Amino acid sequence: SSDTALVNLLVLSFSNAGMKEKNSATTASTLGRILATCSKQAKDYGSCVASIVHEIEKDLCLKQFLALKSCMQHTVKIMSPRPSSSQTSVGSGALSHAYIQHPSLRCNVPESRGLFYDDANRLLICVTSSQVFSWETATFNPDVSPSVDSIPEGPILSVRFSLDKKVIAVQRSDCEIQFFHRETKQTLTHKCRAGSESLLGFFWSDSPLCDLAVVKTSGMDLFACDSAMNLRLVETKKVNVNWYIYTHESRLVLLASGLQCKTITGFQLSTAGVVRLPKFEMTLASTESNSKPIISAGDVHLVTVYGRIYCVQVDMEAMLLHTYRFYRDAVVQQGSLPIYSSKLSVSVVDNLLLVHQIDAKVVIIYDLFVDSRAPVSAPLPLLWRGYQGSDTSPQAASKENESPESSTSSENIVMYEDAWTFLVPDLILDQTNKVLWRVHLDLEASWLAISASSSDRTSLLEFLQRRKLEANKAKQLCLGIARALILERRPATQVTQAIDVLVTAYSYSVKAGIYKELKNGKTTATIPTNDGASPDNERGRASGSSLDEEEEEVEMNLPSGPADEQQESQLSSPAISPDELYKFVFASVEEMMVEESDYLVAIITEFLRSISAEKLKVDLNIYVMTIRLLARSKRFAELSLFTANKIIEPSKEVALQLLESGGQDPRVRKLGLDMLRQLSLHHEYISSLVQDGYYLEALRYAQKRKVTSVRSSLFLEAAFASNDMQHLAAILRVLSELIPGFKETSEYYTFHGLLNETSSSVAV
Amino acid sequence: MASMSSGDESLRLCVFDLRRGQTEGQELDKILFFHPPELDVSTQLSVTGLSEGLITFTRLFSPEAACEVIEAERHSHVFFEAETDIWMVMVVEKNKDTGAIWRIDALRGMLKEVHSLFVMFHGSVRALLEKEPTGGLTRAQLYPFITDYLSTFQKRSRSEDWCCDLFVGKKLQLPNFRETTLSERGTVQMLTLARDTALEVQSLVQVLDSCAGNLQCLSMILFQDLLVSTTLSPDDTVNLFTFAVMRLTSQALLSSDASSWSHLRKGTGSSETSSRSTSGSIDSLHHVIRPLQNDKWKKGKDGFLVTDIWGLETGGSPDPAIPIVWLQETQERVYLLAYQYKSLTLLLLLPETDIVNGGLSAVKQQVIEQASLRIMKIEEKISRGWGGENAYHVKGYRYLVVDTDLEVSRASPSGKVATLAKESLLALNKLREEVDLEKSRAKRQERDLEICIRAKNNAWVIARVSRDKELYMALEKASDTLLDATDAVGRFSNRYCSGAFLMD
Repeated sequence: SSDTALVNLLVLSFSNAGMKEKNSATTASTLGRILATCSKQAKDYGSCVASIVHEIEKDLCLKQFLALKSCMQHTVKIMSPRPSSSQTSVGSGALSHAYIQHPSLRCNVPESRGLFYDDANRLLICVTSSQVFSWETATFNPDVSPSVDSIPEGPILSVRFSLDKKVIAVQRSDCEIQFFHRETKQTLTHKCRAGSESLLGFFWSDSPLCDLAVVKTSGMDLFACDSAMNLRLVETKKVNVNWYIYTHESRLVLLASGLQCKTITGFQLSTAGVVRLPKFEMTLASTESNSKPIISAGDVHLVTVYGRIYCVQVDMEAMLLHTYRFYRDAVVQQGSLPIYSSKLSVSVVDNLLLVHQIDAKVVIIYDLFVDSRAPVSAPLPLLWRGYQGSDTSPQAASKENESPESSTSSENIVMYEDAWTFLVPDLILDQTNKVLWRVHLDLEASWLAISASSSDRTSLLEFLQRRKLEANKAKQLCLGIARALILERRPATQVTQAIDVLVTAYSYSVKAGIYKELKNGKTTATIPTNDGASPDNERGRASGSSLDEEEEEVEMNLPSGPADEQQESQLSSPAISPDELYKFVFASVEEMMVEESDYLVAIITEFLRSISAEKLKVDLNIYVMTIRLLARSKRFAELSLFTANKIIEPSKEVALQLLESGGQDPRVRKLGLDMLRQLSLHHEYISSLVQDGYYLEALRYAQKRKVTSVRSSLFLEAAFASNDMQHLAAILRVLSELIPGFKETSEYYTFHGLLNETSSSVAV
Repeated sequence: MASMSSGDESLRLCVFDLRRGQTEGQELDKILFFHPPELDVSTQLSVTGLSEGLITFTRLFSPEAACEVIEAERHSHVFFEAETDIWMVMVVEKNKDTGAIWRIDALRGMLKEVHSLFVMFHGSVRALLEKEPTGGLTRAQLYPFITDYLSTFQKRSRSEDWCCDLFVGKKLQLPNFRETTLSERGTVQMLTLARDTALEVQSLVQVLDSCAGNLQCLSMILFQDLLVSTTLSPDDTVNLFTFAVMRLTSQALLSSDASSWSHLRKGTGSSETSSRSTSGSIDSLHHVIRPLQNDKWKKGKDGFLVTDIWGLETGGSPDPAIPIVWLQETQERVYLLAYQYKSLTLLLLLPETDIVNGGLSAVKQQVIEQASLRIMKIEEKISRGWGGENAYHVKGYRYLVVDTDLEVSRASPSGKVATLAKESLLALNKLREEVDLEKSRAKRQERDLEICIRAKNNAWVIARVSRDKELYMALEKASDTLLDATDAVGRFSNRYCSGAFLMD
């Protein structure tokens, strides 16, 4: 709600101010100044809340809140001006979860006639009268030079490359598409019946049925296209179409019909075939007047998060953003999000939905994974970051050092200006400056915001575990949270839940094949997600996705699902392996928890239970540590229970630790001895027995198991020390039998001599 | 020894305090407990007098450990110094007809056990005597306690009305040697758990601990009459385990349910009846609590076990009072809460001093809210993996393994032991006696012992002691050679005792 948002904001402002001034006194005065400066706005907001407090609902006072927020941000900005050298920011203030970052992809071509985006190939296309420039956006490398193709002159309404990038298709008018083969320079023109129908657009498909889909007012034509560019009509879907939207990501095309364009027919052209979705009606609030609002193509967005396909639709009358989720056999409305702006667009970054409230110039982040439709964080502006932002992601930081030069100065950037086009999933095209931005998320800021607004660390961990883009950062944050939970001595049940989340997430990612160990300690997060997904590969891989059909899941699968996962395997997932949990959480807090070893043991036990439930293994050092902790608090009874039940899994290291801790309690030492014997670690067992003075038993054992690796002098010296000459004689005899040639050793002579000296009565 | 030959009394048991009754004519003051109570005073005095004389005499030679046992022609006198100068002496008749001889260590084990249990519920005898120097309170508590304890060994089938025999002078019985030969008093029997179950249990233990909020809450979990988990010290575990198996486990409740009808019909057995007892040693002035009284525990609707043994809560509450026990390890008084779900019995121990008014019901509520679901799941899980009463039966073997250090033992199921021929059992009993003797003699560090005996019926009875682990075994169907018999033991040791007993 706005109230929590305010709290977030305060927290954020002060964490900022605090960082600058490093003084709690000045931080307190910051609050005072903010409240003094923004007293009117604060009062307005407060009175708004107070007036409706009995019926308060989320975001009722948003208008007042936004006013207060902007005032506060303004104040904070004046008070703590950012040093321009290290980081320059544009936008209202430095508070943000989402930002665009330098460098941008520049596509300024002289005599440019238009910019297009081919989402299937992730190409940014700029056309002049006779040329097509295309940039790869997948790598988002500003240094990359465009590939240039010449095409005959003519009007261009849209451009799309075929999935193998061999053919450029250009829509010339509402009844004509031209195809140009980039190698053979072959040209083909496809026309539809003029007058009776008009062409709305087209897209390439990788479904086995067709390669090209052409959407017209009368329906959709599906064509197969061979290498010689012969188009063959395969199928026609007859629907009256007012407009359509398509994203290659979802392979879903939505055709809108009806007076209000409310009736939607959908098809998924996936590698599994063409699936027709049930027809559904979008929701539009009816107004008092008889005017019937019409949904336009810009009001509807296809959103792909967590492998699910959603559609979000703007309902300006109701000021709501309706969400629908697509299943294979159903379209289910999911609830609605509030709108605070007459213009609106969406991006998807790292499976989070970013709703740009363009008029308000703020972005609100939602996590559609959770059932709650509450935003992840308060509305905050989109930020522009310069060269060496402190929070820059690694890939940006490394590249920027080499190319500091850029002509895009911050003065040119106007946030949410009219010429901005939001591209699927996370790109922003600034038509004025002819630059392309990628939207980033500041994980730490969102983490801070969430943790400030809710004390529920479990859902926070879940949120972080779902992050893919900045996996390493998410992972570090998770480890930090886990450590903090233990150090703060949170109730064991809370810590348990948190650990369960981490273990389950790890187990899932291992099963799904996403998790990959970091190699050489280097972060693999430097590779952007969408890297290297050339359509060729994607197509090849995606063809395997037909298997998805056999899964029981009724949910509509993304055709490129497996391909995505494969791409992600190159990243380190935020999943934390049990070994890492041991190393970075348990082992690291051990020293600080000396006084609370009982508590730590309780947590470790829950951790082991969680691991065992997921059938995972963990570094055996955690058992060694558990023994240490139990022995420290003198819980020997439980220690023997833990060992007997194999909660502490037997191993040599564990046995040795038991022997060591057994210095305080002989029963524990015995557990260690028993474990050595059970593990058939004969040498260690015998040595320990001798060390404890059980040299006869040790020798018997050695004789029985034919162990000769233990130094014979050990037994002899022990027996000699005990002053029992009968034992010494017996040992000499057994050793003579056990070790061939023992009688010839000097050892034998020494002890035999000693024996004769001391007692001549004992025969050997 | 005229008093010993007086008749059919097979058992005499007395507790006396050497510090009391030092002056002539005051000797009776020494005696804190005597069974049978109806025996005339002079006989009682002669038994204690003889015992005291022996103790004083033997102390001349061995001040640390005075006499342990006197073997007379027809009786054995077993001595146990329970607390300094407080002695328990048991006189048992040797049964010539059956040839069954009581193993002295087993008898002393009983004395030890009854004393430990008494201390658990009432505190030490010495402390009681100091609190109330006339000894009246001590006697009033000891009398029903020991009698209740011994009544446990009565054959249930033979004594429909055994719950009342406390005050009608019925003959008490010691446990049958069939039952004691392959068992070890003062140890607990553990349930072997699979690792994942053990982790679930441990997790439950932690939940139970958290139910008491900031207080320390010790706990013990039993499945049927086997120990699943404990956070108590070994000695406290043994005591509480013994009590739980006697009175609290699902089986103990079940058998008391079976006899509850007769109990109800007679309308006796409540602690109030002590006032009209025929025995002179009961002092009706004292509030006598009979913690070991049978038939007194019931499972309440909320799953907690309730009893009126401790009377009602103070302050006019209709709820029965929660029992309080002493912990040996910490010398702390703790409330004992027992929760039961099917075969699973959970004991919670909460420090008395830290519990404020209503604190216990809050803990109970927490247990029901936080733990009952887990308890249900664990019970189900254990039950599914549980092999029944013969789970620890090993075909062809009748065995007892004791770990004296950990105070843990495991034995063949009693139903299987019962199939042994009497000769085998007698031989085994004799063998154990030998081992006991050998153990007490060999105070040396390396206590390694191996004895194989061929019994009259050609069965092999074998004892194997290796440091602090003991193995006793009867093999009736083993072949003729000693080698085969030791091989069989070696196989058993490797398979079931993780090779603890190395056989030559």
